[in-house]
Amino acid sequence: MILAAAVNPETYSTADDEIARLKRCDPEALTSFLSRYQQRLYRFLIRLVQDPALADDLFQQTWLRVMQKIGGYDARARFDTWLFSVAHNLAVDHLRRQRSRSLDEPDESGMVAADRLASSGPDPFEEFVESERAAMLAEAMQELPAIHREVLSLRFEEGMKLEQIAEVAAVPLSTVKSRLHRALDSLRGAVERRLRGRRSE
Amino acid sequence: MTEHESIRAMLALSAADALEPGELRRVQQHAESCEICRRELHAWSLHAEGLRRLPQPMAPEGLMERTQARIMEQREVAAARRDENRMLAALVAFGWAASLATWALVRVLGGGSLQVFGANLVSGVTWSLTSTVLVWMTAAAAATMLGKRNQLRRSYEQVS
Repeated sequence: MILAAAVNPETYSTADDEIARLKRCDPEALTSFLSRYQQRLYRFLIRLVQDPALADDLFQQTWLRVMQKIGGYDARARFDTWLFSVAHNLAVDHLRRQRSRSLDEPDESGMVAADRLASSGPDPFEEFVESERAAMLAEAMQELPAIHREVLSLRFEEGMKLEQIAEVAAVPLSTVKSRLHRALDSLRGAVERRLRGRRSE
Repeated sequence: MTEHESIRAMLALSAADALEPGELRRVQQHAESCEICRRELHAWSLHAEGLRRLPQPMAPEGLMERTQARIMEQREVAAARRDENRMLAALVAFGWAASLATWALVRVLGGGSLQVFGANLVSGVTWSLTSTVLVWMTAAAAATMLGKRNQLRRSYEQVS
């Protein structure tokens, strides 16, 4: 954002002004922010907690917390990184209380959230193969531990840089790298198990 | 670890665009001459591409509106709490001012002495102690009443 401001000071002042309006709880600014981040934040939360009702509640709690803490937010930092870190903290706290165990253990629920996730619409026929692969990946992803689902979602869906992911998850960069590596390895293993299962059927 | 093995360990991160420029150059150079790593890198790239195209969960209808309503409600509650705190502070200040004014008045009217159970009530120390106790008791009673009112309001809100 700082770099963007150096290139285009007008962009920075607009973003700054928007944050200032959000700090005053201006209803228009609030609607604009909610609408801008609605899909991304909900997607991140549902990947993390795998429960639509809980993701819905955490989404609301995240914004309540954001509005409580917005006074201390430094407008030079990226808003999305800050927003996702608030959501991360709330979700992780909830998962720890709920499960009383480490978040790097695989999910024992056995839920296939891909069944519960409303798709954005039918895929065009020419994308059938890709969508099949994506659906299988989505199913396989449900088997991974929460912290692996999180790092995959932030990297591939949110397109965040590793430094941003480190900020969201409050871990060192090296941890993000090793977590991403392990997550990809586990995902590939889960996909291959599924493929072998299909072939043997 | 051979160069081939160390490159293989980097392929997943390469597909995730998570390597340093130097590491990426090493992977690319090696993959040009190593068929196994080239295939492996392709497999990882397919996974990475699939991850960018996962089925997208849609936010529930009305989520934004419900969130906005909760934020506004929270803001109103916070504003009411601030008002109550200001009112408490004003009450305490008024209590002190009233106590001071009464002390001055009683001193003037009583000629500097008001004996109660053998103690001079209008002496500086006795009056300060008495008024401090009275003011804090009043403030505590007001805080308790406000707390009870908030508790009742919350229970009504939960019922409705």
